[in-house]
Amino acid sequence: MKTDMDRKYRIYKCIAGVGKWVLFALVSFVILFPVYWIFISSITAPGELFKTPIDYLPDHPTLDSYQFLIENVGLLSKIGNTVIIIGITLVVGTIICVMGAYAFARFHSKWVNLAFGFIIATMLIPEVVTARPLYEFMQKVKLFDTYPGLIILYISSIIPFTVLILKNFAGEIPVSLEEAAAIDGANFVQRLFLIVLPLMKPAIATVCIINFITCLNNFFTPLYYSNGIQVLSVAIVQLPLRDNMYGVPWDLVSAMGWIILLPIIIFVAVFEKQIMDGIMAGGVKA
Amino acid sequence: MSQKKSFLWIAWVLILPVLLLRGFTTIYPIMKTVFNSFFDIRILSGINEFAGMSNYVNIFQDQKVITTLKFTGIFVVVSMLFHVVMGVGLALILNMKFKGRRFLRTIVLIPWAMPSVVIGMAGKWAFNNDYGLINDFVRRFFPDFQLNWLINTGSARAAVIALDLWKDLPFFAILVLSGLQFISSDIYEAAKVDGADGLRSFLYITLPLIMRNVLTLCIPFTLWRLTSFDLVYSMTSGGPGEDTSLIAYRITMEAFTNLNVGYAAALAVLLFLVMGAFSWFNMRFMGKFED
Repeated sequence: MKTDMDRKYRIYKCIAGVGKWVLFALVSFVILFPVYWIFISSITAPGELFKTPIDYLPDHPTLDSYQFLIENVGLLSKIGNTVIIIGITLVVGTIICVMGAYAFARFHSKWVNLAFGFIIATMLIPEVVTARPLYEFMQKVKLFDTYPGLIILYISSIIPFTVLILKNFAGEIPVSLEEAAAIDGANFVQRLFLIVLPLMKPAIATVCIINFITCLNNFFTPLYYSNGIQVLSVAIVQLPLRDNMYGVPWDLVSAMGWIILLPIIIFVAVFEKQIMDGIMAGGVKA
Repeated sequence: MSQKKSFLWIAWVLILPVLLLRGFTTIYPIMKTVFNSFFDIRILSGINEFAGMSNYVNIFQDQKVITTLKFTGIFVVVSMLFHVVMGVGLALILNMKFKGRRFLRTIVLIPWAMPSVVIGMAGKWAFNNDYGLINDFVRRFFPDFQLNWLINTGSARAAVIALDLWKDLPFFAILVLSGLQFISSDIYEAAKVDGADGLRSFLYITLPLIMRNVLTLCIPFTLWRLTSFDLVYSMTSGGPGEDTSLIAYRITMEAFTNLNVGYAAALAVLLFLVMGAFSWFNMRFMGKFED
């Protein structure tokens, strides 16, 4: 009787074990295979993309599409634009969000709390509702198609999530630490920079990582608030057709796609834990 | 700290940058949109005159918009149903104890982190009849399979929803997972002792405990579906015809391509009202659910 139960249990265990790996393989395949397909398409010669069945191990791998992007589409300047805009957005955005979040966590009055509620509530305002008037406004104040204009809009887009995460984190730093420092004669600025900021480093790292991805994903803002300054996410929908009669310059799209994907995949692999924590704490949509 | 009151001005100095920036990019444009929605503003023909409610009346006679609203409804409902069912499933997979767990949790972040436009552009090619990834895969099993996905209404809609799920389902699952992790394993042990098998402990323990979390998640996910733009813009441009056009896409086209600004504003106000009503209704419902 006992051995019978034992055997049953072992068989059950075995099936469950196999089942887990089957599910694992299925999920991994569905997620990774398209990404792999984009990669091999980007190193396949354009002519060979019109092949059925698809050759998943290209015979003549080539960087031709990347070279074309650099020479004829200005890839490097688009990467430059993207880096400049995201870089400044992250630095300035993080500074003002840390200031705001600290104030929201430490000072409470009816109006301060209301301001916090307002900033969080604006998370739900879709950009299509604000787009046209904002577009006209940006043109009126000569910020349309300028770096400052784009950066302002990028910063604005990361504020609600960043303030929410940082405020919750700052709220957990004991006030007594600051009080002790105050007794020792530290003024407000010293307390903020020497006590609070170092403690907030992990949260700041998390929001920076996630905001980097959010900014890289941002498509609507650069599409409608600029013409000349192109970033990578907009460039991919405006690639020229090479020798392709099917309406999609897939050779170039896959190469451009992979250039955007590479930093994303590296980030995800390296910062898996921070991203997971950030997502679970703030539910941010990239 | 008792001296806090007098230091309140410091708080406002610190808050001011984020508040101003956020206020300037939301309050003024929303007010202007509401204002514009009562005007007939067509930049191409140089018209700008008061129109009362006529923009709103026109919405329900515009065949393009009716098709758009229909697909937006289908898109939101079908996508959300799959989100809930498959999202919970994927969350359970991510919560399994086995060696590949960490790897799996890392790769599910990739679709979340990928820009929708990249997915949309890749989708346009993936669903191509002759050279696409999808048909290539199907043809390995059914060699004679032919379907030009993005040309037929039904299959184009299915393709858009499928890609939307590919991108966002992992994200939904991660958020469900964060709820799952709070369930202590003691409860399952106790249930096992009482003779509950895997299915029963899922139905009677896991599901009720994560239900609230899942329903709460549905609110922002539904709102995101309602305002989804990038995917359709890059993948189908609303085609065939207007059959895969979503409301956010339609508004943007009216505002920036047809330059029918007043009408676009009326559509935007309508979308905003629907979103507001949905959120309000849900909060009431969740409030009841809590009691």
